[in-house]
Amino acid sequence: MKKISTIVASAALIVSMSYAKEIKIGVVLPLTGPLAAFGQTSNDGLKIAYAQRHTLKNGDTVKIIVLDDRGDKVEAATATRRLIDKNKVTAILGEVASSNSMAMAPIAERSKTPMITHASTNPRVTKGKKFVTRACFIDPFQGAIQANYAYDHGYKTAVIVTDAKQDYSVGVSKAFKKAYLKRGGKILGRVIINSGDKDFNAQVSTIKSKNPNIVAFTGYYPEAALMVRQARAVGVKAPFIGGDGVGFPELIKIGGKAAEGFMYSDHFNEAAATSKVAKAYVAAFHKKYHKPADSMGALAADAYNMLLNAMNKCSDPSDKICVNTNLRDTKNFQGVTGLINIDKNGDAIKSGVVNVVKDGKFAYLTTVNP
Amino acid sequence: MDILTFMQQMINGISLGSMYALIAIGYTLVYGVLRLINFAHGDIMMVGAFAAYVAHASGVPFELSVVLAIIVAMITGILTDKIAYKPLRDAPKISLLITAIGISFFLENLFNVLFGGIPRAFSAPDYLTRSIHFEGIIIPMTVIIIPTVTLVLLFVMLWILNKTKYGMAIRSLAFDIPTVKLMGINADFIIMLVFAMGSALAAIGGIFYAISYPSIDPLMGVIVGLKAFAAAVLGGIGSVAGAVIGGFILGFTEIVVVAFMPELGGYKDAFAFIFLILVLLFKPTGIMGQDLERSRF
Repeated sequence: MKKISTIVASAALIVSMSYAKEIKIGVVLPLTGPLAAFGQTSNDGLKIAYAQRHTLKNGDTVKIIVLDDRGDKVEAATATRRLIDKNKVTAILGEVASSNSMAMAPIAERSKTPMITHASTNPRVTKGKKFVTRACFIDPFQGAIQANYAYDHGYKTAVIVTDAKQDYSVGVSKAFKKAYLKRGGKILGRVIINSGDKDFNAQVSTIKSKNPNIVAFTGYYPEAALMVRQARAVGVKAPFIGGDGVGFPELIKIGGKAAEGFMYSDHFNEAAATSKVAKAYVAAFHKKYHKPADSMGALAADAYNMLLNAMNKCSDPSDKICVNTNLRDTKNFQGVTGLINIDKNGDAIKSGVVNVVKDGKFAYLTTVNP
Repeated sequence: MDILTFMQQMINGISLGSMYALIAIGYTLVYGVLRLINFAHGDIMMVGAFAAYVAHASGVPFELSVVLAIIVAMITGILTDKIAYKPLRDAPKISLLITAIGISFFLENLFNVLFGGIPRAFSAPDYLTRSIHFEGIIIPMTVIIIPTVTLVLLFVMLWILNKTKYGMAIRSLAFDIPTVKLMGINADFIIMLVFAMGSALAAIGGIFYAISYPSIDPLMGVIVGLKAFAAAVLGGIGSVAGAVIGGFILGFTEIVVVAFMPELGGYKDAFAFIFLILVLLFKPTGIMGQDLERSRF
């Protein structure tokens, strides 16, 4: 009896060794809830990237497990723990919102699981972490793009709108203020909002009384759309400028005519896509979804491919430490969103773009290099 | 702050307060009869907004889609009562409360599955969304319409409760359900009526909410529901007039915090709830609330 079981066991071992392994990547995204557009567009891009490539050099196949966290910090942490403990994933991809990524980072760090966030721009996400990397630029860069663009185009006074609930917004506000003051601009005041709020009449009335040249809106698209609408309704004429958190079709759908002229810094605009990788991605995206390729999807695709590249450099792609070391070592990676270099903090050094809402569409204005 | 901005902020306060008031009435109505804090109320509001959205998007004129939405919300309210609350009529109150939370989650997730989580743009006819310019102050039409509708509905509710036979039945149910049944009144029918009325108010509130803030998503009822609940408690839960007063106080508190202390604007919800705690410390039954065992509405 003992003999038979030994034979079975060794046979099983041989079979499992000769077959290619399955490498799992856990993905945490806000597929529902207030930030659903972030999660769903990221997921769209991820699907394109997965369809383009899902086998590794050594023949192993990659499997992605996507979990929804409803845009909630606690849910994001729970999902991460589940992916690591129960699904035994080799790497984690996500989240979009910096606050949620920050809730996930300590869990990845403790379990020594490489985590790559494709779109969280707050510097604190990777700070002091050895296992957290990102595929996007960070807020000081993004804030500087907005501040310099605004000042150089004749908007010399600004009111900053901060979403106190979002680390992302607090970070961009700080970065905008620093860069704007350095350039010579004047900050007339700051108003606070909370994500999830719908009534901004009090805030826009305050903005109106301050009468700035420009409104630096640093929050996310659901609030951006409603706020710009309410601002126009009470007669605020100043244009809005924001970050990558506002560039979603919902800004135009909900904001309507009021959203016209809303400028924002972003990671990607398909009009500026020149590389072969980007063109292939954009073509596949158009074919599948019949809509313009957005930045969240492009970033998710880049993060996914960075992970696969790192895995390809390891003899055992499920070796988390090796994958992490190679991920951190990413140099001159040609992604959809441009050339990506990871610095010693795990942050991506790359270029950004400025877009504007024009005739109900997102139009490309300029590219800013680091 | 100049006088113009001040006036503008006051108008903002009226707008927000009447919205909370409208939804708070529904809370208080159901609580008054069943002693049930109907946590699904905010979600019925969402159902109403979505029903109006779907009807309007499929070509029905706006006014008619409002009527349809009210009917859909009433049916939803009656169904939740029949399916979830009725079997628990004699169960401990805590079971009812937990069931209400369950219904709330069910509705939210059902709509998440049906419509997805991405907020949708709610379009309303121009005469409801434009604003009037008056001496430099801008008054959105909703600021005029919502408080008017709230007050009209408040008086209609008070009239139904105090002057009609059904109102008398509702008030008597609030005292003692078994005795009312003994008097030959169909208690289940009256309770159904209460849910229908409460849900209709929620739907109207939801549609106005969607007109004022034209972005609707399946979780839109959560925060508003919570605020309206706080407003109902503040005014004295069980009192219809109290709910309206509570709604206005809550709305003004939020606006005043943001207007006069912009740096503390992030804590406006905290201020609103601190205010609630203070009122309850000194008057545990709320502003208009009386001893709940003796008086109703």
